Amino acid sequence: MSATATLPQGGRKPSGHASLRSFLAIDERQGIVAFAQTRPGQLLIYVIALAVVSRYLDHWAAGLAVSAAMAAAALPPLRNAILFTATWTMTLVETGLGDNDFAERIGIVLQQENITEFSAAWLATGFLLLILIGTSGMLVMVRRNPQSLLARRPMLTLLALEAVLCGLTTLDILQGLPRLMLWSLLVTLTPFIWFLPYAIVDQRSKAPSPPLLHLAVLRPFWSPTYLPFGKGAAFLRKSLPKTPDELAVTQLKAVKLLLWSTALLALKTGLTWTFGEQLNIPSVAQTLDAFLQDQPYPIGLSWSALILSTTQFALQIAIWAHLFIGIARLAGYRLPRGSWRPLESRNLMDYFNRFHYYFKELLVDFFFTPTFFKMFRSHPRLRMFFATFMAAAVGNALWHFVRDIDLVARLGLAAALETYASYVFYCVILATGVGLSQIRLNAGIRPSPTLPGKLYSFLCVWSFVVCMHLFSDGSRNHTLGERLSFLASLFGVI
Amino acid sequence: MDIAAKQKLRDFLVESLEKHGDKNPLSDTESIFVSGRLDSFATMNLVMFLEESFGIDFSDFEFDVSLLDSVDAIEAFVESQR
Repeated sequence: MSATATLPQGGRKPSGHASLRSFLAIDERQGIVAFAQTRPGQLLIYVIALAVVSRYLDHWAAGLAVSAAMAAAALPPLRNAILFTATWTMTLVETGLGDNDFAERIGIVLQQENITEFSAAWLATGFLLLILIGTSGMLVMVRRNPQSLLARRPMLTLLALEAVLCGLTTLDILQGLPRLMLWSLLVTLTPFIWFLPYAIVDQRSKAPSPPLLHLAVLRPFWSPTYLPFGKGAAFLRKSLPKTPDELAVTQLKAVKLLLWSTALLALKTGLTWTFGEQLNIPSVAQTLDAFLQDQPYPIGLSWSALILSTTQFALQIAIWAHLFIGIARLAGYRLPRGSWRPLESRNLMDYFNRFHYYFKELLVDFFFTPTFFKMFRSHPRLRMFFATFMAAAVGNALWHFVRDIDLVARLGLAAALETYASYVFYCVILATGVGLSQIRLNAGIRPSPTLPGKLYSFLCVWSFVVCMHLFSDGSRNHTLGERLSFLASLFGVI
Repeated sequence: MDIAAKQKLRDFLVESLEKHGDKNPLSDTESIFVSGRLDSFATMNLVMFLEESFGIDFSDFEFDVSLLDSVDAIEAFVESQR
């Protein structure tokens, strides 16, 4: 399709916005889709992707990620083997180099227990291999015993295991080497507990994915984080392209997403430089500290700090999500974006869907859905509200607490829980807002589609998000009461 | 499923898609959930719609979204539950 073919019927010149969209729609032009399937086209995609990914990852990791993704797309019979090799090579090499937090977290207890015979990196590597072997065995066990507790309630079982391990490492009677070993198991297992349920659920299906693919997408090389970007093997298999054209379109979309990620990174850097460095807008922590020392910044400056911090956080989520999904798309997976136009959110429900898609999907798959099918089945509104609450409050709070499990060793369990009150408050308010929004939608109350209506929606949603950011910034240095007082001061109440 | 019930189902799905900003046409064989056109929350709205309209009890079996992935798949699923 030529560029002129995208002109609206009737020959009217498209608006600037439509014209830009048409210009950017390279994945809809037949000539470019055909070129993307040639060797020069593949080379060009590779070079652009490598240039973008190298801005975020070390050169070796960027090279490995982009090469493995494109090789997996080009060689379907070897796809699973390539993904497996890339994922575990990246995990083990990063662990050895200290580029991920496994060794660092093991090092906390190594130091506390004053043990010098072991290296944190070697311990992490050993436990990672143990988890790899253990997962293989667990998948076989689930296939053989589909009625076992682990098979039926994977998330609940794994969270219970996490809680037991965490509790044991805080017992006074457990010291020295046993504590180190338990702690090492806990911190290496922790990221995987959000990936394993997808693998376990799939093992119970009629056509389960091959074990090699499950092992390949445990913290896959495109997103070695605590969140399954791309969900599990079953979802990934369903998203594979069926034709060479579909693969080319997916890879072109990958390049666009990676470039968009870079543009957002530039925007974030520019905002930080302009407002943080040139206009000296303080951080939220600085404004809070100043307020608590009875030397508050002017209200306008405090609001600016909060808005800037929220914007930086939203951009950060989008930047990483686009990077991860961009690499996965290079491998041929036609995955939805991880963050999709959150500024266009019409209500809190819509915001929850758009802002952090794969986090929301994780919460829905393992907290919302099981609750929805079991609780309050004869009370539709309460049923939806409670299931939403379980996802947006309980699941959300658990995920973030588990992600920061190192604080249990650094601060102690009691302090780790106590300093978490602020985030729990955020989760409860968010869940209540999302739940009410859901009920309003189901009752047919919809935001106005007019321009003033859209503006009103934007202001409502993002005012809420900015205010709540004060409680969700992840820092543990201020109590809930201090944050509430500060928020009240921003409205002139105190 | 009779013609009126199937049309009611189509209308429900089209409305759900429109709520998600998707105004593209929907054929009876087209993937709705696996393709990403609708998300997990929308699945639960569909579940409630099927419970209310056809009296299906989803707690009786293992829920699998691929059973509800297109208009035709949903029709087959509803028939299998009768």
